[in-house]
This record gives sequence, structure tokens and C-alpha cells, in this order.
Amino acid sequence: MPRKVILLILIVLAGAWGHTRLSRQVWENRRETRSRIETGYVFPSQFNRVLALGHKGLYADYLFLNTITFFGERQMYRESLTREDWDYLVTGLNAVTDLDPYFLDPYVLAEGTLTWETRRFADANRLLEKGMKHRTWDWQMPYYLGFNHFYFLKDFNKGAEYLMEASRRPGSPNFLPHLAARLSYYGDQAKTGILFLTGIINSTTDERLRASLLLRKKALEGAALIEEGMERFKKDLGRAPQDIAELTAGGYIGTLPEEPYGGQWVILPSGRVFSTSKFVEARKK
Amino acid sequence: MNRVWALAVITYKEGIRNRSIFGILAFALFVLGLNVAVAGFFMREIGKVTVDMNLSALTFSGLLLVFFVALHLMAKDIDKKTIQLVFSKPLSRGEYIVGKYLGILCFVVVSLLVLAVFSSATVLLVRGLYPNYFAGFSWPVFFTAGFFILVQLAVLSAILILFSTVTTSSFASLIFTVCAYLVGVTIEDVVFYVKSGFRTEQISEAVKQTLDVVSHILPNFAMWDFKLEAAHGLVIAPERLGLALGYAAVYIVVVLALACLCFQRREFN
Amino acid sequence: MSIPEIALNNVSKTYNPGLFKKKVQAVQDLTLEVGRGEVYGLIGPNGAGKSTTIRVLLGLIRPDGGEILFRGEPLRHGEFQKEIGYLPENPYLYDYLTLEEILQFCGRVSGCAAEDRRRRIDELTGKLQLDEALRRPLRAFSKGMLQRAGICFALLHDPSIVILDEPMSGLDPLGRKLVFDIVLELKEQGKTIFFCSHILSDVERLCDRMGVLVKGRLARTFARQDFAASQAAELHLLLPAADDNLRAELETLPGRLAAVAEGLLLSIPPSRLTETAAVLARLGVEIRGTRAERVSLEELFIATVEGGVS
Repeated sequence: MPRKVILLILIVLAGAWGHTRLSRQVWENRRETRSRIETGYVFPSQFNRVLALGHKGLYADYLFLNTITFFGERQMYRESLTREDWDYLVTGLNAVTDLDPYFLDPYVLAEGTLTWETRRFADANRLLEKGMKHRTWDWQMPYYLGFNHFYFLKDFNKGAEYLMEASRRPGSPNFLPHLAARLSYYGDQAKTGILFLTGIINSTTDERLRASLLLRKKALEGAALIEEGMERFKKDLGRAPQDIAELTAGGYIGTLPEEPYGGQWVILPSGRVFSTSKFVEARKK
Repeated sequence: MNRVWALAVITYKEGIRNRSIFGILAFALFVLGLNVAVAGFFMREIGKVTVDMNLSALTFSGLLLVFFVALHLMAKDIDKKTIQLVFSKPLSRGEYIVGKYLGILCFVVVSLLVLAVFSSATVLLVRGLYPNYFAGFSWPVFFTAGFFILVQLAVLSAILILFSTVTTSSFASLIFTVCAYLVGVTIEDVVFYVKSGFRTEQISEAVKQTLDVVSHILPNFAMWDFKLEAAHGLVIAPERLGLALGYAAVYIVVVLALACLCFQRREFN
Repeated sequence: MSIPEIALNNVSKTYNPGLFKKKVQAVQDLTLEVGRGEVYGLIGPNGAGKSTTIRVLLGLIRPDGGEILFRGEPLRHGEFQKEIGYLPENPYLYDYLTLEEILQFCGRVSGCAAEDRRRRIDELTGKLQLDEALRRPLRAFSKGMLQRAGICFALLHDPSIVILDEPMSGLDPLGRKLVFDIVLELKEQGKTIFFCSHILSDVERLCDRMGVLVKGRLARTFARQDFAASQAAELHLLLPAADDNLRAELETLPGRLAAVAEGLLLSIPPSRLTETAAVLARLGVEIRGTRAERVSLEELFIATVEGGVS
């Protein structure tokens, strides 16, 4: 082999060694930088439609990937999201659905995160309304809306309306009319919530989201158990119990159900059973 | 070295006189003009939007320079057999690669400097129109980001030369280089997405491993992307700059050495 | 015999154009020598392997076998390139460079000093009538001008060996005369010239030795002297084609009879002309004309290519 070739091979090998070392450092550095980087910026939708250069679907996919990576990274490292982070998520999802209003994933992500995690019901509902308008064949959009109105906003009539809308759409589960009726009569009860959640869980395929919903269902089941005790307490004594301790002391509840988020059960002044954890997973600050 | 430089000089001159440059310049000016026109549409961060659009215009124009003019400089030699004439002179194949690379680099640097002058003028103009919205703006960070666009183009030119030495058609080397760039700029998001573990159970191990290998073979262009910092006038840590420069330098050396190796074996019909 | 400037020993080259395509044997077992100060012409039909031979010589492609010697030593590229000037068939330089820039480049890579470059550029462009075009971009050059520019590029560093691939192709008669004179001048300066052509009259007038390349093999070589012998002092009379009887009669005449495309060619010593003419008149055979040589290079060439050697 000519000496020149040997020299070149040596350069390549030495360079490749240096490169792999640097490459590791670079990726580590990028990870750190990304976690420190402020929230991104999303172009207003009017610009996005132009920027997409005729590939709106592809651009929507790209934006969604960006949004979900941003969210996923913070989930993974259990970092809490700031108000700006949530703003970014909302504008991102808005932009994606403006580009492609039929795209299901952003609506699911909105329902799964915006309501439970940060209580941005108005943002979530606005997105879902858009989804309901465009995805006319999809019963899930009004179903999610119905759930939000029932569970978070306590607007039972509106919730029942959405549920009826959902029940008229193809493929909707047959318990919806029953649920709608129950909603307008009983309103604020953990059992109604459980029924709702079961519906959502059954239509969710994503494992991670499903696991978190199952956790919520477990919490609601605990709450339902306590509510049952409260009902019996009311029937016997003609008044609502002051706190959980009164219930256990009176023997209305054998052992307190486990609170899966690690909080303490409390009875709210409204008479609803809730937890000090607010049913949200503890995050590191 | 004299021989390498002589080749670099004619490569540079051939590139800088290419008519396509005017088209690319027109494109850049159009984007910059658009920037001035739309700046008022934004409510708060006019400075940020201006920087974004300027740096993106520089990047796009730079890419066009590399993908079309620089590719042409490399490919025409082989397609039109000029290389046979060049190799009938006492110029080794390694010297040819290095000379061509230096010529292309000079060409890209000079063109980008011209564009940077226009870009700075745009920033000054918009800043003059909306002086209240440029609080976070900093010239040093802006120019640092601009310089790293140049670094990206330098890496890309090296990749272009490598592909030109291994493929027989200029179109193939164009496609490969464009792909390398697209993968290089998106790989980071994909890798971190997969690592985030968010809805990634369905992704197979094989894909993850391939991704890992690719992420170390192709350069991670995000390392040389300081557009975000420039947009918000954030301070960039010196270690990051050093690491980015070292990463680029080593990558270019490896790629050019590989190109030389491939060229030693190549036959010219 | 002194050591030849260039010697090719049993050089072979097969192109492998890739999967599923037939391999092409471009050059097989080629052996030839070019002596110092000699003008060697390689002739052959298109696709015979002339350009391949030159590319092997320049190191642009690697031979599969055989060796190439330069002044008796195995060829070392780099050293060799300093001594040669090469003109390809259709030289394409660059579009936007001027002639002066490309010639300066040529001088710099060949290691000429600045004043030498200046002097050589003026000299060569003057000789090839390109001095007016020195500062024009090569894109604006006509085909003939490009060919001449290519010659300047090849000769700028005053090489001792000149390799020309079809130097006359695409030139008008004036341009050909220019190139012709340049080659003759180089020959007078004692340069070794190796060139390929299929314009036979050029080869005939310029070359000391010729090789005919057919399908990658050297079918025949002959020196100018051999060729001249066939043109010895004879008169070549062109006669119409004849039937066997008449032909038998003609055979009895002094001189030699040969069949050519136009009919018969009778070669006689000039002293026997009157006598022969009388016989021909008696036989009623008219003399259609005369030819300067018995066998033209063209005929030799065609005969060689077709496999028979006259």
C-alpha cells in the first residue's frame, strides 16, 4: 500500500476516534441546553399556512412532533412546566390543528394534558370544539367536551348536551344516552365520573395515557366508596359529615381506600370528596 | 501548498462569477424585504422575528450556494472531464480535494459576507423603525449565530465533496448531500423524542440502535444552531462555542480524509 | 538503442461498467515504445482504445496488468506530470475563468516562476493568435479557440513530452495549419510527441512512427522509412477493371499489378513508360490516371482494421 494511503487511513482513524468522543460530549451538551432553553416560539397560523409551501399536512406533523417532544422531554425528566411552557403547548396545538383540523393526535393530547395537569379548560374546550366541528364522524370530540363540562366545569346541562351529540355520532358506545340522562339528574357524583372515565379509557390505545387514566379511575373509585359512606351517614343522621374522621369513627367506612396520588382524602364544603393531592402526580420543582 | 492554493483560487473565481449567485442574492433580498414588510404585523417581539427571518434567509441562501454552485464546481470537473486536464499537471489527488475544498470555502465565505452586510442593514432598518422592540437584541450574539451558519455550510461542503468522490453522477451527490443535511438537522429532535419515552413503546430496539449509530455518524447540525440565542440575545457559554467549533473541525478533517481515500482509488474515463 | 522515453509493456485494461453489463476490453496486451525526440502516431478507428491508452499513461485509470516505464523507470505520477503536456480531445476548461487565469494556474501548479509564466503566456498566445482573447472568459470562446487554448494549457510549462489526443479535430483549415506548424516546431525542438488521431493525412505528414490500434490490440507498426519505401520511384497507373483474359495479358507487362477500389493499379519503373503505354494502347486499355503512391495509408489502415495486411 502506498505511504500516502496509509497516512490517510491513519488520519481517518484518529479523526473518527476524536469525532466519537466529541460527538458524545455534543449530545450531552445538547441535552443540557435543550432542557434549559426557553419555550419555543410558534409562528401565527396565517404564516404557517404559507410556510408550509403546500405541504400543510407534513408541516402539521412536524410541528406536532416538535410540540410532543418538548412535552415528552419535560415529562421524562419530571420537570414542572411553567406558564410559558403551557402557553407554548397551547399555541403549538392550535397551530397544528389550524394547519390540519382533522388531525386527531393534538386533540387527544390537549384533553389528556391541558385539563388534568394545568386546568386550562377554556383552551382545551376551544381546541375540542374545533375538532368537533371538523371531525364530524368522531363521537370522541363531543364526549371529551361533555366530560370537561361535567367533571371540571360542573355545567351538567351543557355536558348532557354534548353527550347527546356524541351519542348521535356513528360508533359511539350505547351507554351514552344513559350517561347523559344520569348526568342531568345526579350531576356531581364520583360514580358518574367513573362511568365517563371508563368510556375514555376504552377508547384510548396509548399505553402511557391509559395508565394515567386508570390511576385517575382508581382515585375516583376511592372517592365513590367514600361518597357511598357519606350517603348512608346522611340517611342515618340527617346531616352531612364534617370530615373523613367522622365517617370512619361512625363505622360508615371500614378502611379508607388508598389514594393513588399519595394525598389525604378531604370533604369539600360543596360535599364532594377530593384529595389534598388534587389528583395530580407529584412533580419535582 | 502553492499548488493547492492555485487550484483554490481558480475554483473560487469560477464560483463567484457564476450567474446563479444573482438568483440566490435576489432570493435573500426578497426574504429580507419581506421581513421589513411584515415586521409590523407582530405585536411584541419584532426584534426576535427580525433575527429569525434574517438568520433563516442566510441559512437558506447558504444552502442554495452549496447545493447548486458548489456542487457545480465539483461535479463539472468530473462530468466534463476537466479533471483529466487538471491531473495532467503535477497535482496529486489529495491536493485536488483540499484545493477544491478551500476554493469552495472561500466562495461560500465571501458570498455569505455579502449577504451578512445586507442582513445587518435590514436589522438596522427595522430597528430604526421600531426602536422599542429590540431590547433583547445583541450584535455579538447575532454575528456568532451568523458565523455558525458558515460553520454548518463548511461541514456541508465537506460532505458534498465526499459524496462527489464516491458517486459517478452529480445528481446522486446532490441528493445524498441534501439527505445528509435533512437528517443532520432533524436527528436531534427524533433522538430526544425516542429517548423521552413518551409513546415510544412501539418503536423497536433495532430502530433505536440504528438511530444511535446514525446520530454519531452524521453531524448534529443543532450544535451549530444559535438562532434561538440570537433571537433572544441570550449569552452563549464559551464552552459551547469551543465544543461546537472542535466538533466541526474534526468532522471536516475526517470527511475530507475519507474523500481523499476514495479519490485515490477512483478512475476517470 | 537508447532508453525509450515512454515504454508500455503488455498493458491491459478491462472496463467493468457495473452489474449486469458486459465487460469491455479496452486495451489488450499493448506494448509500444516511444523514443526520445520521436513523433509517434497512434491511429485506429473509434473505440479502438486510443484514449484509454492515453488515460493509462496519465494515471487517470489503472491498468489491470503490465507496466509503464518512463525513461526506463516505473512511472511515478507527479514527476512524470512535470515533463508532459496533455491536450484532450475536446478540451473543456472553465466557463467563467479567463484564458489568462487558467494559464496562470497551469504555470503555478507546474512550479514556474512568475516572470517565466508571463513570458510563456505572451509567447504562446501570440503564436496561437489568442493574445486578443487573453482576458475574455472561456465561455465566449469558439470551438477552434478552445482547442488552441487547450494547446496553450498543455505547452505552457514547456514540457519535454507532448501527448495530443485528436489535436486537429474541430479546427478549420487555418487552425489546422497553426497546430500543424506548432507540432513541427516542437519536433524541431526535439520534443517527444505522442499523438492519437484518425485524420490519417496529418499522421502521415507528422509522424516518425505509427501504430495501428484495432480492438485494443496493436495490429501493426511501421516507421516512416518503411512507408516511404512503398512510395519508391515508381509510376502508378490507374487502369479500369479487367476480365481474366485481359488481366493475364497485363500480368506480362513489367511492374506489378494490384487490385484497388477504382480498378487496377499498375506500378512500373518510370523508364518503361513509353513501352507500357504502347502495349496498353494496343490492348485498348485506357489510362485513367496516376496515383502518387502504391498503397495509401488509408488503404493500409483499412486493410489492417479489416484483418488482412497487404
